[in-house]
Amino acid sequence: MKKTINYRFVFLIIISGFFLSINVQNLYAQETKKNTIRLKADYIKTMNKEIAFNLRASSKVDGSNIDVANIELTVFNEYNDDSVKLGSTITDSEGKSTFVVNDLNLIKPDSTGLYNILVSFKGNDAYKRASKSVTYKDATIEAKIITKDSVNYITATLKDTATDSVLSDQILNVQVQRLFRPLRIGPEFNSTDESGTIIVPIEEGIPGVDGMLTFEVVLKDNDDYGTVKAQVTAALGTPVVDESTFDERTMWSPRNKTPLFLLIVPNLITLGIWGIIIYLILNLVKIKKS
Amino acid sequence: MEDNNKNSRRKFLDKGLKLGLATAIGGMAISKISKLSAKSNTGTGEFVELMTTDGTLIQVDSSEIVEVVHTTDPDKKYNVREGKPNRKYVMVIDLAKCKNALKCQTACNKHHYITGEHAWLKVYQMQEDEDTAPYWMPTTCMHCDHPACVTVCPVDATFKRRDGLVLIDNERCIGCRFCMAACPYSTRVFNWSEPNQGDMTMDMEMDMKAEGSCHSSPEFAGLPSVIGTVDKCDFCPHSIDKGELPHCVTACPNGVFYFGDKYEDTVTNGDETVRLSKLLRDKSGYRLMEGLGTKPSVYYLPPVNRLVDFEEGLEYFTEFKSVENPEKS
Amino acid sequence: MKNYDTLLNDLAPQKFGRKGVIWTTLLVVVSIAGIIAYIDQVIQGQVVTNMSDYALWGVYISNFVFFVATSFVSTITVAVLRLTKNAWRTPIVRIAEIISVAAIIMAGLTIMIDMGRPDRLLYLFIYGRMQSPIIWDVIIIPTFMAIALLLLYFPLLPDFALLKKHFKNTKPKLSKWYGILSLNWTGSDAQKSIHIKSIHLISLLIIPAGFMLQTVDAWLFSTLFRVGWDSTNMGAYFISGAAVAGIGALITVLYVIRRSYNLENYITDFHFDKLGKFLALTCLIYLYFNINEYLIPEFTSKKEEITHLNVLVTGEYAPLFWFVIVGGLVIPIIVLFFKKGRSPLAIFWVSILVVLGSWWKRYLIVTPTLLHPFLPIQGVPEAWRHYFPSLHEWLITAATLAMCLLIITILVRYLPVIPIQRTADEQEQLKTGKNLES
Repeated sequence: MKKTINYRFVFLIIISGFFLSINVQNLYAQETKKNTIRLKADYIKTMNKEIAFNLRASSKVDGSNIDVANIELTVFNEYNDDSVKLGSTITDSEGKSTFVVNDLNLIKPDSTGLYNILVSFKGNDAYKRASKSVTYKDATIEAKIITKDSVNYITATLKDTATDSVLSDQILNVQVQRLFRPLRIGPEFNSTDESGTIIVPIEEGIPGVDGMLTFEVVLKDNDDYGTVKAQVTAALGTPVVDESTFDERTMWSPRNKTPLFLLIVPNLITLGIWGIIIYLILNLVKIKKS
Repeated sequence: MEDNNKNSRRKFLDKGLKLGLATAIGGMAISKISKLSAKSNTGTGEFVELMTTDGTLIQVDSSEIVEVVHTTDPDKKYNVREGKPNRKYVMVIDLAKCKNALKCQTACNKHHYITGEHAWLKVYQMQEDEDTAPYWMPTTCMHCDHPACVTVCPVDATFKRRDGLVLIDNERCIGCRFCMAACPYSTRVFNWSEPNQGDMTMDMEMDMKAEGSCHSSPEFAGLPSVIGTVDKCDFCPHSIDKGELPHCVTACPNGVFYFGDKYEDTVTNGDETVRLSKLLRDKSGYRLMEGLGTKPSVYYLPPVNRLVDFEEGLEYFTEFKSVENPEKS
Repeated sequence: MKNYDTLLNDLAPQKFGRKGVIWTTLLVVVSIAGIIAYIDQVIQGQVVTNMSDYALWGVYISNFVFFVATSFVSTITVAVLRLTKNAWRTPIVRIAEIISVAAIIMAGLTIMIDMGRPDRLLYLFIYGRMQSPIIWDVIIIPTFMAIALLLLYFPLLPDFALLKKHFKNTKPKLSKWYGILSLNWTGSDAQKSIHIKSIHLISLLIIPAGFMLQTVDAWLFSTLFRVGWDSTNMGAYFISGAAVAGIGALITVLYVIRRSYNLENYITDFHFDKLGKFLALTCLIYLYFNINEYLIPEFTSKKEEITHLNVLVTGEYAPLFWFVIVGGLVIPIIVLFFKKGRSPLAIFWVSILVVLGSWWKRYLIVTPTLLHPFLPIQGVPEAWRHYFPSLHEWLITAATLAMCLLIITILVRYLPVIPIQRTADEQEQLKTGKNLES
């Protein structure tokens, strides 16, 4: 008796076991092991221009780091328990994206003067949801060019915007904007003094197109204030002289700029010879007719 | 009589206009309907295998693949054969730092989908004489200011731009190889057979779109390579346009390659950014085969005060190989 | 028109005997084999050759240079001998013109084989840059071809008229063709005056054209940096080399035709004697240039020059080099020095040596230089450090040579190989002592 009951019981258990495992497999199929995304967000403020967030999405798949491309990241401004969507952006083939806010007033600080930004990814079939928050205080750099004793200097003052107080003993970098990476001018470390100011002489002979140079004073990767950059453009460089031979007639120019000698002499010779050849062919015709 | 004629004319015009209108409306309707039906067509049944951006393979009906039309990049105001004015690209290669790590070659081969047996960037084992020191010398195309290759090209397939770059239009090249004979730096490569880039076409198109273009151009050397034409290093104008350094420069772990604009007098290897004139003056920069008068755009810094012994680079030296061919392994 | 029965019987084109048919068939077979190989090359790409990124030019280019050089023969024999008033040239001019035409046509075809993208041939004309030496070549080759064809055709007019009459009854269709080609030649004074003026003009024209052709061909090499090519010698070197190749080819073909058509009365031992002396002279001049090219650089022993010279004199290419210099130049000079050496049979074998030497000489000009570039050959397969033509290259090259001979054969079949009218005029001039311009 027990045996038969046991058989049925065992049978039921086995059957339910199968069903369960199938279901569990189904569950697994739906949630095919999603990977985690790591988001990086760097805050860069350019004075009188824009605020940019350099975003980067990467993930560790099979032990190696890969860039996560083509995912949508949404940027929120959180203040007073509110989450205001500022916008969204899609990462490129290298998992990077730059989210730019043109009007600085669009981002509101909380009561303590802190700006809270949240970058979030709502997840998709392959990746779990992720988010990263960036908190910063607003700092201002006022930079200008002054001339003392016929030497040009770039001077800048660093201030905390909320309290309008100067920030001293902060390191600022002074550089000239160049094609790939900026060129540092002045000493490597410039500490702001008690009045939050630095002054750096501008060396002579830095070339620029039409003599124009764009100087940058940068507070880099500060824990409180992020990266703040002030730009000043002035015609303090030596003008660039374009020595390209592109417009000249040279041996390596395209055919519309062949050197005159080669344009004239070989063509004259060729035309001359072919003129004679044609004359000779005409002679053949003449012979035929006579 | 006239009246009748007028009437019949009117009737004719009347009928004609009505007929025309009906035809026009009918035609438009038909075309709209056919478009709709085409859309609602659930597929041609032909499937194309595509790879999504996260690496999974999916099957997509071929009718759902739509050609993406890109608006012209507003920054690309220049003619590809002309380049931008007021700049001149130069490269500085610091032989004192080169350890033959060959990361530059690997990056170049990868990003230009080089499948032949001859890499465009080669690191030579150099030794002028038994008594002089051996050293590793990476060479790229020199993008000469007096380019022998451009001078001899019969069909203007290779050309020199304003910004100093010498590029190749592989839709124009007739494969005479005169440029290869002319180049004293042996930097040009020929596609003797069909380049086996077939598997990579999808990747190539993604790369090109990322750089902002839909079709191949001389600024994307190797994307694709064409049989019977010449290829060479292009100083990666597709990267420069994005504000990025050429691939060899970023790939080098030892900071050997510096790249920049000569007119800005600034070069950078990604970490250090220095004045070009100062670098050349302090470290006694020179150019290769200066006496030939080719005026190359690549400067070399002599191999002095080296950080590592020359012998350590021998580990990676492959005398008979410069491209990893996956098919051949 | 006078009765030139004997002349016509001797010199009129005849049908090929068995030897001729076998010869032609052989040439056609070789040509077809080469065409098949070429089609394979077009399909697969030039990977079927043994060329690589270092040996980027090979036997196709050296073969091309050989054809260009051989086409110099009409300039050097027909025109130069004419202007120097060497009257004995009459029996040989037609053959020289035929060889010239065949060689220059094959030169034009052979260079296309070396193109990686022959489908883009027209780009040379649409997008051509005058700064490129290749474009100079593209201009001069068709120009020379036109002049060579005219030089062949003009003197043929009276002969075609004669042949039309000769074949009127026996071969009416052939006669009709000769008639069309003779352009209604009647020998009238009006026609003759145009004729004489034209021939004189062509002979004058083909001299600068021929010199320019050889020079431009030389400049394909001397406008480049490479050791062995970057030589100020190149232009004159190529011109003298072309003279050697041209006359060598001429004598070889002359002997074969003389034997096949029994033309001993027309192409006499005297002609071979004269040609032998001419060949010896050109070989001496060419040898002089070779000494300047290959011996003198040893004096300064610049590293790059020495690498190149060692490879030729004692290295990988030594056997070929010495065959070319000794077999192709020195021995011919010595043999031709003696009167017995200038007998037809001896001179025939000497000329074969000269032609073979000429062909391999161009191979030595093109390939070794490419295998020692300025920077060391590294990072490429070991096989790329050497070059020897592949089967495809040999088949295609053999086919081009066969096609050249085929063109010569066909022209010899249908054209009188010795100018009939002129020979008749000269014979009459000898008889009457009248001063006839020709």
